Amino acid sequence: MLPAQQDVLNIVQAKFLAAEVVKTIHLNVSVVDGPLENDNRILTLVEYNKSFALFVLVSSRIQPISFSDLSIESVIPLDQNFSFETEPVSGQNYVILIIRYKQNKYEFKIEIGKESCNFAAEIIHAKEVSLTGASNFTWLEKYFGTMNQANRNSETSISDQSDFVLIREGMAQGQASINRESMLKYQMKLREPEFTQKQEFTIFVGTWNVNGQPPSASLKSWLSVDEKPPDLYAIGFQEIDLSKEAFIFNDTPREAEWQKCVMDGIHPNAKYRLVALARLVGMQLAVMVNNQHYQYVKNVSFDTVGTGLLGKMGNKGGVAVRLELHNTSLCFVNCHLAAHVEEYERRNQDYKDINARVNFRKNPQAIKDHEQIYWLGDLNYRITDLTNTQVKTLLQRNEINTLLRADQLSQQRERGNVLLDYSEGDITFQPTYKFDLHSDIYDTSEKARPPAWTDRILWRGKGIHQISYRSHMDLKISDHKPVSALFKSEISVIDQTKFRKVHEDLLKKMDKHENEFLPQVMIDQTEVVFDLVKFREPQARYIIIANTGVVPAEFEFIKKLDEASYCKDWLGILPFCGSINPGEKCDVKLEVNLETDLESIYDILVLHLKGGKDMFITVTGNCQKSCFTQSLSSLVRIRVPIMQSNPQQYNLARNNQSPILYSVPRELWLLVDHLYRHGLKTRDLFESSALHEELIRIRDWMDFGSQDPLPGTPQAVAETFVLFLSYIKEPIIPFELQDVCVAAASNFQNCRQLLIQKLNDIHRTAFIYICMFLQELLKHSNDNGYDAKTLASLFGDILLRDSIRNAKPQASRGKANFMYNFLVNDLSALLIPK
Amino acid sequence: MANRTAQRPNGQTQGKICQFKLVLLGESAVGKSSLVLRFVKGQFHEYQESTIGAAFLTQTICLDDTTVKFEIWDTAGQERYHSLAPMYYRGAQAAIVVYDITNQDTFGRAKTWVKELQRQASPNIVIALAGNKQDLANKRVVEYEEAQSYADENGLLFMETSAKTAMNVNDIFLAIAKKLPKNEQNTGQAGNAQGRRLTEGDTGPKATGNCCK
Ligand SMILES: Nc1nc2c(ncn2[C@@H]2O[C@H](COP(=O)(O)OP(=O)(O)O)[C@@H](O)[C@H]2O)c(=O)[nH]1
Ligand SMILES: [Mg+2]
Repeated sequence: MLPAQQDVLNIVQAKFLAAEVVKTIHLNVSVVDGPLENDNRILTLVEYNKSFALFVLVSSRIQPISFSDLSIESVIPLDQNFSFETEPVSGQNYVILIIRYKQNKYEFKIEIGKESCNFAAEIIHAKEVSLTGASNFTWLEKYFGTMNQANRNSETSISDQSDFVLIREGMAQGQASINRESMLKYQMKLREPEFTQKQEFTIFVGTWNVNGQPPSASLKSWLSVDEKPPDLYAIGFQEIDLSKEAFIFNDTPREAEWQKCVMDGIHPNAKYRLVALARLVGMQLAVMVNNQHYQYVKNVSFDTVGTGLLGKMGNKGGVAVRLELHNTSLCFVNCHLAAHVEEYERRNQDYKDINARVNFRKNPQAIKDHEQIYWLGDLNYRITDLTNTQVKTLLQRNEINTLLRADQLSQQRERGNVLLDYSEGDITFQPTYKFDLHSDIYDTSEKARPPAWTDRILWRGKGIHQISYRSHMDLKISDHKPVSALFKSEISVIDQTKFRKVHEDLLKKMDKHENEFLPQVMIDQTEVVFDLVKFREPQARYIIIANTGVVPAEFEFIKKLDEASYCKDWLGILPFCGSINPGEKCDVKLEVNLETDLESIYDILVLHLKGGKDMFITVTGNCQKSCFTQSLSSLVRIRVPIMQSNPQQYNLARNNQSPILYSVPRELWLLVDHLYRHGLKTRDLFESSALHEELIRIRDWMDFGSQDPLPGTPQAVAETFVLFLSYIKEPIIPFELQDVCVAAASNFQNCRQLLIQKLNDIHRTAFIYICMFLQELLKHSNDNGYDAKTLASLFGDILLRDSIRNAKPQASRGKANFMYNFLVNDLSALLIPK
Repeated sequence: MANRTAQRPNGQTQGKICQFKLVLLGESAVGKSSLVLRFVKGQFHEYQESTIGAAFLTQTICLDDTTVKFEIWDTAGQERYHSLAPMYYRGAQAAIVVYDITNQDTFGRAKTWVKELQRQASPNIVIALAGNKQDLANKRVVEYEEAQSYADENGLLFMETSAKTAMNVNDIFLAIAKKLPKNEQNTGQAGNAQGRRLTEGDTGPKATGNCCK
C-alpha cells in the first residue's frame, strides 16, 4: 500500500467503529457518467465480525484530511445478492467496475493498476468469507441513516431497509442445504404411496375446564371408559390455576398435579409415555402415546398463543402440540376462547389469532399445514336467543336438536366464521356448562347462566373417523363437565425397506443432477511458457477457457493460501474473473512485465469455478538479466556490460565479493555522459516520453554493449536515465535514510553531514555525481527551461523513491527540499571521501 | 417450567443430512480420480485423464440413521502441486490417502501425506488409507500386513481397493461415513472449510457450521 493511501485509510478508518475494520480502500474513483477528474470517491471495504460491506464514500477534498471530509454515499453488503465485474474500455487506462446488488447497479471508473487489482482481489476474498460464515449485517443499519440525503432517495442506494431485513433472514437459514432437504422431503411425499400403507390408530381426545380447582378425584371415569386402550391421548385442560401468580409468572404447581392425575387416570391396560406437554397459564395440553408407538413419533414441537388481556395475555388463547406419527403429521390445539354470550365475534377472532400466531418453528410451521388437526377446548360459545328457563325446559324434554340450533358455534361455523373445514360429531350429551359445584345441577346462582356446550372437540383431515363423542358427568369438582372424543384415524405407516429404497433412489438422482449441473470448463493449456522475459518488455499469452458444461461457469483466479494476490506482481491477468455461458469461450490474457531482478518466473495460478472445480495453470519463463534491476554496489563491480559478464563474475559482484571497479556504475556514467554532451540544451528534456522500442534499444545497448554510439534521442536517453534511477534495486537515498533526510531538508549543512556520515561511498558518490550533472543542466536553464525547483521535485521523488512503486508519483515537498540543497550549493567538497 | 417435549433419539431413516468435505490425496496415477469416478458414477476408464487442479463432485451415502453427503475434492498428485494441497485439506473432515499396491514409492508418499495431514489438517480429521489396484495383486510390492499395521499404528481406516473391479470402493467411503461424528460439536470447527469457496451452495451458517440440520 502506498504511504499516501495508508494515510487516507487511517482517515477512513476513523469514520467507522474500531471493530469495523477497513480492509482496503480504492482512491480516485469516479462515477461512470461523470468526468474522470471528478474522482473524489473512495471505495471502502469494511469488515465487522466476518461480515463485509462496501461503502462508497465521497470526499469533500481531493485528499481528505479528516474523517469529517467523508460522507457515505452508499452501503452495499457483500452477501449473496452482491456481485461485481470489471469491464475494460478499449484504448483507455481505466476499467468500469460494475457492482450489482439486487436490482441496483453501480458503475465506477477506476484506473487500471496494482491498486485496482488488489482491491478486486480483496472484494472476492471478502465475499467468499461473507458467504461461508454466519454473516450478520445488522451492524450496517446505523449507516443507512447517515447516507447522503441526495442518494437516499435515489434508486441506486439501498435505503429500503425492510427489503434489507428480508435479505438477512434469508441468509440466516443456509438456503441451499435447506433446498436440498426440502426438495428431498417434497419428492418423498410425492412417492409416499410407494412405501407406506394406512393403519388405523385410536386417538383419545379430552377437554375439561377445571375452574381453578385442584385435582381431587380419579379421572378414570373420563379417560379410561373404553374397553381397549387408545394408541394416543391428547388431554386438554383450561383454568387449572386462576391465581394471579399463574397469570403473571405463568408458573403453577397445578401443572404437575394435573399431569400426574392424568397419568394415573389413563387406560390401565397399556403403558404410555408423555410426548409433549404445553401450558400457557391455565391452559394445558398433554400428548401421551402408547409405548409401543413411541419410537415412531418424531419432530415434536409445541407453541402457545395468548389472546387474552391486551390481545396477548395467557388468560385466554391456545396451546398446540404437533408431531409426526409414522408418516402422518398431527396437530392438537387446546384453546380457551373469550367468555360471555355476546362475545362470539371475539371468540371467532381468538380462533383466527391462534391460527395465525402458532408457529412450530419446524416444517410445517402452521396449524393448517398438518394432515390431521384435532381442535379441542373450552370454546366458550353459548346458546343464544333462548332464556335460561327455555333452555332448561328443552333439556328436560331432551330436545337437544332444537337446542343445538341455537348453539353459537354451530351457527358461526355454518356462516364460515370459525373452524371452517372442521368436522364435529353429533352432540348427544347435554350441555357441559354451567353446573353448581359438586352437582349435576345447572347454575342456580344469581347470575343464572344458561347452560351451554362450551366444551367441544372438532377435527380436520383425511381418514379420521369419530367413534364416540361424550361428556363425563361423574366428575363434579368443576362448573364444567369433561368431554371426550374417540377417533379411529388412518396413519400412514412406513415400510422401512421400501422407504429406504425410494430414499436412496432419490438421493442418487439428486446427486446425479447436482453433479451434472456443476460448472465444467476446459482450458486449452495448463502450462504457459513465456519467451525470454526482458526488463519492461511486456509479453502476452492467451489461454482459452471454454464452457463445456450445461450451466454458466463463473470463473475467477483465486489467491493461494498465505499469498497476497491471485498472481505474482510480474503478471497481469485480464479478465481475472468472469462468467461464460454454456458453449461459449473466454480468452484470458496473461501478461508478464518484469520490473525486478529475477532469474526466472514461476507461478501456479488457481482458476476456480464458482461451485465447482479448480484448475491449475503453471506459468514459467526465463528472464534476461538487466542492469536496470541491479544494485549500485554490484554494478560498480562489473567491468563489462552485464550480458557480457560471465556467471562467476556476475555472482561475485552481486554478493559484493569482487573489488569495486568504478566509482559510479558504467551505465550511469554512459547515460550522464551522453546527456552532458547532447542534452544540456534540450528543452523539456525529462518531459517527453519516448517510443517503447527506442527505450528497448537503449536498454539492450547498455546490457549487451556495442561499438555503436548510444542510440536514441536525448529525450529517450533522459527517460532511460530516469528509469534507471527508478528501478535500481535500492534507491540512491536508501529507504531507511529518507525520513531523516527529509527532516534535515531545511539546512544544507545538516543534509551534507547526513550524506557524509550515513550514506555509503557508492551511493554518496552516485548521488553527488547526479546532482553535479543536474547543476550542469541548470547552467543552461535558458535553453532547457529547467529551474532548480522543478528539478528538485522531479528528482526528489526518484532518488528518494517510495518502497512501493507508485503508479502516479505525487511530489513530496520534503524530498524536493532535500534535493534542492544539492542543486544550489557547491558540492565539490563532498566528493572527497572522508 | 411448563412446556416440554420428550427428548428422544431420532426416528427412522428419514431426517438428517450431514455434509462433509472429503479430500483425496496421493501420488499421481495411483487411482484417486478412478476411485471417485467408480464411487460417484460407477464407471472406470482405462485412460483416466490426469487431474491438473482439484476436481469436485458430490455423493450421498445413506446410513441407518443419517444421510451423509460428501463433497469430494480430488486433487492433483504431482509433486509440483504439493504446495496447493492445503487449500483442499484445510477444513476437510475426511481424507482418503491413496497408494498403488504395485508401487513402493507411492506407499512412501502416502505416509508423508498422512504425516502432513496429522500435522496440518484439522485435528479430528478422519483419514483412510486405500491400497488401490488390488486387481493387480500378482504384481504387488506393498504387503497387505505392512500397510495394515502402519494404518493401525496411526489410527487410520485401511482397505485395499480396486477402482477397476469396484472392490471395497463403496465400502471405504461407507466406513468413513460411519466413523465421522454426526453431531454439531464434532464437526463445528471444520466449518470454515476452505475447500468449496464462493459456492452459492454454502451460503448459510448451517451449511458450514453444523453438519446436521
Ligand atoms: N488396474 C487398475 N488400474 C487402475 C485402477 N485405478 C486406476 N487405474 C488406472 O491408473 C491410472 C491412473 O489413474 P487415475 O485415476 O488417473 O490416478 P490419479 O492420478 O491418482 O487420479 C489410469 O490409467 C487408471 O485407469 C485400479 O484399481 N486397477
Ligand atoms: Mg487424478
